[in-house]
Amino acid sequence: MLEIRNLHVTVEGREILKGIDLAIQPGETHAIMGPNGSGKSTLANVIAGREGYTVTQGEILFEGKNLLEMSPENRACEGLFLAFQYPVEIPGVANLYFLKAAVNAVRKYRGEPPVDAMDFWELVHERMELVKMDDSMLKRSVNEGFSGGEKKRNEVFQMAVLQPRFAVMDETDSGLDIDALKVVADGVNALRNPERGFLVITHYQRLLDYIVPDQVHVLFNGKIARSGGKELALELEEQGYALYNEEPGRARRAAA
Amino acid sequence: MTAVAPLFSDPYRQRFAEFMVRRREPDAIAKLRRAAFDRFDKGGLPTRQQEAWRLVDLSALQAMTWQRPGDAPVDTGILPTLDQTLAHRLVFVNGRFAPGLSRLRDLPSQTLVASLGQALLTHPELIEPHLDRLPGLKNHPFADLNTAFWEDGALIYLPRGTVVETPIHLIFHTTGDALAVHPRLLLVMEAQTQATVVVEYGGQGHYLNGPMAELALDNGAVLDYHQIQEEAPGAFHLGGIRLRQERASQAHLHLISLGGQLVRTDLEALLNGENANCHLNGLTLARDQQFSDIHVRVEHAQPHGISEQLFKSVLEDKAHTVFDGMIHVRQHAQKTDARQTSRNLLLSKQAHAQANPRLEILADDVKCGHGSSTGFLDPDAEFYLRTRGIPIGQARALLVHAFANDNLSRIRLTPLRERLARVLAGRLALDILDEEKEP
Repeated sequence: MLEIRNLHVTVEGREILKGIDLAIQPGETHAIMGPNGSGKSTLANVIAGREGYTVTQGEILFEGKNLLEMSPENRACEGLFLAFQYPVEIPGVANLYFLKAAVNAVRKYRGEPPVDAMDFWELVHERMELVKMDDSMLKRSVNEGFSGGEKKRNEVFQMAVLQPRFAVMDETDSGLDIDALKVVADGVNALRNPERGFLVITHYQRLLDYIVPDQVHVLFNGKIARSGGKELALELEEQGYALYNEEPGRARRAAA
Repeated sequence: MTAVAPLFSDPYRQRFAEFMVRRREPDAIAKLRRAAFDRFDKGGLPTRQQEAWRLVDLSALQAMTWQRPGDAPVDTGILPTLDQTLAHRLVFVNGRFAPGLSRLRDLPSQTLVASLGQALLTHPELIEPHLDRLPGLKNHPFADLNTAFWEDGALIYLPRGTVVETPIHLIFHTTGDALAVHPRLLLVMEAQTQATVVVEYGGQGHYLNGPMAELALDNGAVLDYHQIQEEAPGAFHLGGIRLRQERASQAHLHLISLGGQLVRTDLEALLNGENANCHLNGLTLARDQQFSDIHVRVEHAQPHGISEQLFKSVLEDKAHTVFDGMIHVRQHAQKTDARQTSRNLLLSKQAHAQANPRLEILADDVKCGHGSSTGFLDPDAEFYLRTRGIPIGQARALLVHAFANDNLSRIRLTPLRERLARVLAGRLALDILDEEKEP
């Protein structure tokens, strides 16, 4: 459902992604691991359509459509979701109001009427339980004054309400203690189904104990240095990225 | 350069002489007018050489020859309402009371809500001790012009202990070209009184409105005051507000500025009693080539006063706004808590916002702070909203709304708050603005 072919991306003239190939099928969860500066967040941002990233080569297809030609909002309406590494605080916009605006924007795109108020209320409450969110968080401004854990739960909550077909989780584990991590992972796992795909981006293997991926890719220096099963994450945990850093040749040999 | 200004006093002199011939009023009032006119005559209209008027281009105003307004028919449908049939409603057309458009409800005993012109004949004893007596805006040319030329306006007088729960709605409507009107508002609140006042300025045509409001709050008085400036796009609005607060009085002033071609409001507040509380909430929406300027001076004269200022503007196109805010704390005014925030949101690269926050603190045990920021919409917030499916136009409108709603949410008078929210939504072409309510 998501296919990335030979993706090259520059930021302010510097090449960050140097030829990424990745294919994720419906129902699959892939993990991208890599050290800081390897290009993980660039990949997430390019998929979501943030400005400031120039694709110099390659393409991204989502359900067969050219994703790079779509605005960020149309990507979302097509069923793509990005859980932010740093969710943005939006003072003055109530969480619930924002969610309803988002749900209705997606419905409008699909030619559906605005959501019924009661249906929406029920959906919201059902999904709040998924991430153990408090009622008061609905009335508060989007992410304003939220703790790190609350922000990440709010991302998963939004995903649960919007029900995308494909979600990119950008370092959803950063800044979380183990309890919050479990809550977030449980929320994600509850949303996994045979139609939905996930790309989980993380620095550490810890998250993958809870969100168990079908495939793991190691992103290093703008390229996928290695791909494998979930056991690859454990290997990385033990050996670290130093292997790739110090001796690229050895990494290749290890992959062979 | 400075020789230019006095030339313009000549038509004013003639106008004033004609004006005074017809006046029948107590000598004390005539004396005030003459004194004010003499001050104006001496200084003339302000020039850009004067620091307080440095940013104001009055050349278009100086080029006009202003006529004394006549009566004009007004389509009542265009006058603003509060959706409250119970509100006391006084309408002034071209500066004069229009009884046919007004509606006065029952008031508590000895309370007066009336045309100032009429009250001058019936209750001069209530007016003379208060008119032009408040400090502030001394040698202010438009305050002096108003004192010299006011024909009518409103008198609100609340005797000790009176609570007027019904909002008092004052509508100043000007219609015509080359007219100058100078409506006056005198609000006298004796001790332990309470009132809610909404003042609306609007009209059609190319005119000058130079209103002046005097708000005197005695001990423990509580005032909610709203000024909605929605003048015609070609109008000049140059007004002033004097506020004096005695012990433990509370003033909430909401200054909403939407219309006009050139707008300037000078507000001087004196916290003259201990524990006085002054909250100023200002929102300006400016677009096209509007110029909107607000000068505020809050003076703490006594200990334990609290003042809070929040002034924001949203600028589109080539609009230009100015905020100049001074907090002055006298030596005696210990334990003062004074804050001032000025924020400007630029929606166009050609818009221009200036903020000039100032503090003068002579007491040593006070909490004072000010902050000022000017910027464009946060691109990260915009992107965040878009990644949830919200189209770019709506995302931007949501963010602007959030910025301005911070001010509107402070207005406790629900029908007014909702009306202003609709005005804001209309400006932003935002179609889903129902306040979220739980079913």
